Amino acid sequence: MNIIVCVKRVPDITEAAGVVKIEESHKQIDKKNLVFKINEWDEFAVEEAVRLKEKSGGRVVAITVGPQEWDDVARKALAMGADEAIRIDEDVESADCYVVANILAKAIQQQSYDLIMFGAQSEDFGSAQLGPMVAESLGIPHATLIKHIELQNGGLKVSREIEEGMLELHTLSLPALLTIQTGINNPRYVSFVNIKRARDKQLSVLDIQSLSLAKEELTPKAMLERFDPPDVGKKAEVLSGSIEEVVDSLVGILKDAGVL
Amino acid sequence: MALQEYESIIYRCFRCGYCKLPSDYGDYNCPIYARFRLETCFPGGILWLMRAWWKNEIRWTDRLAKILFSCTTCSNCVEECVMSFKTDILNMITAGKSDMVEMGSVPAKVKGFLENITRYGNPYGESREKRDMWLEGTDIEQYKGQEYLYYVGCVGSYDTRAKEVTKSLGKLLLKSGLDFGVLGKEENCDGNEVRGLGEESLFEAMADDNIKQFRDSGVKKIVTLSPHSYNAMHKYYSQPDGDFEVLHYTQVVKSLIYDKKLDVTKGLTAKVTYHDPCFLGRWNTEYEAPREILGAIPGIELVEMERNKSNAFCCGGGGGNFYIDSFGSSEYVPARIRVREALSTGADILAVACPICLTMLDDAVKVEGIEDRLKVMDISEIVASVCLQEG
Repeated sequence: MNIIVCVKRVPDITEAAGVVKIEESHKQIDKKNLVFKINEWDEFAVEEAVRLKEKSGGRVVAITVGPQEWDDVARKALAMGADEAIRIDEDVESADCYVVANILAKAIQQQSYDLIMFGAQSEDFGSAQLGPMVAESLGIPHATLIKHIELQNGGLKVSREIEEGMLELHTLSLPALLTIQTGINNPRYVSFVNIKRARDKQLSVLDIQSLSLAKEELTPKAMLERFDPPDVGKKAEVLSGSIEEVVDSLVGILKDAGVL
Repeated sequence: MALQEYESIIYRCFRCGYCKLPSDYGDYNCPIYARFRLETCFPGGILWLMRAWWKNEIRWTDRLAKILFSCTTCSNCVEECVMSFKTDILNMITAGKSDMVEMGSVPAKVKGFLENITRYGNPYGESREKRDMWLEGTDIEQYKGQEYLYYVGCVGSYDTRAKEVTKSLGKLLLKSGLDFGVLGKEENCDGNEVRGLGEESLFEAMADDNIKQFRDSGVKKIVTLSPHSYNAMHKYYSQPDGDFEVLHYTQVVKSLIYDKKLDVTKGLTAKVTYHDPCFLGRWNTEYEAPREILGAIPGIELVEMERNKSNAFCCGGGGGNFYIDSFGSSEYVPARIRVREALSTGADILAVACPICLTMLDDAVKVEGIEDRLKVMDISEIVASVCLQEG
């Protein structure tokens, strides 16, 4: 089974790591003290792809679109077990999903594949558009938020996570595209030794010109105007009284807020 | 497989159980066994599981990994095993961890711990920018060739409670006139827990980087806050390239008191019991320096817990467990067992000499609800309360 996994490089923004600051232009974040890593959803996707390959044979190719710093994310995929990685050399930070989808679709068309996997969304922009856009561009079926994959009779049986943890069961014929939900597996830890070993695996850098994309395909349809941090709320209400009274007040507040 | 190296020995453990106990058989002294009381959860049981896994008699499971990684590397088993291969007991358990690390199949928190170290230079995943925040309000200088490097470590740099100790020790050293500096933001993790988690290659890479940094900065003598740092540098950095003199701070403070560079005559009236940290005590046989410090302070009555010195009961924080938290919540969590033991001596103060022991035991005292009866204090805090004019 030949699998393509698309991966993105994102800043690590877990709480402990520090607060993200917005640049003067209000169009970018201040990258100075940030540490970058593979997008969490993509890590689950790579792990799932490698496990499928380990079970039923085939190849896993990891693809990413970005400048040279993005090599580290491609190498992470290799270290996790991908057989080959391709980085399309283009800084798409100010592009939208339409442009990135066009680039990826073109690059994917140059490969042979049975299955394409994306993370369900990215940690930074979280649009969740890329996977479905690429599937439509390639004219193949897709399913999003996948929690479980089973190969059967030249097709797939998948579970899709919807609200309240419920799962929808779908069957798809191959080739198909899946976007992967977190928690589908436990991504492996890549030891220092295995990171070094991955250096011997193939990482090709593709010139964007070689994809022969039309100007229209590289022109974003959506432009980021600006972003700002949310207003910090100044209201804090301290509930008082006995435990029972406090609980009643709290339940009332939560009900009013539509949470309960 | 790393376990391969121990092929001739691993079969020979027949689960006698000496590794569960201290030398007087008074109580259970393996923190995993004391917590879980299952026969898989002590070194003998773990070795049998490792052997069976290695020979494909059992499969890897999440539970197997959790049992293995709950080992705090306290070394009680090495101390108490009566067989000729006792010195390899812990090495075998660590080899098992190493094989799981190689496979990539480790508990999620172990993965987080190691990845955070690689990305941030500390297991918490806290920004490097915050590593020197403890320096605020002190006159401690950046290291630029002074006689000593005061090496703080990750827990001392980031943990809220531990930072108080990092500061108090720094102020003590300043008061004594010791010529020293710190690396601040430039400091990197010593790697001791990385080694204890079986990530040997990562540890070696970290050690190499640290040794190079120390050499390039002209470091000759290192005084560490943590016994973990002391262990890593004293035992493993020296060969073959790092030729530094490494001391734990209790060894330095002891000399400073004896040389009258620190004046403890003001004294302190308190009943104090001292908890030997595994990495200062059993791992490096330093039992006396901390006790000599306490003995030099007039008014302190030193009372020993039943399990002391080479029999000390581990706080449960080693092997990365101060972060990985294999022991969860229970009255049998090692740290809680230990503070109850300390309380039973009648002591007012439970003295520690390790920032990990400090946070583990300090939290345990709170959970036990005995804060008003037992105070957990680092030895440097005790000395500082006597030597320094606060305010």
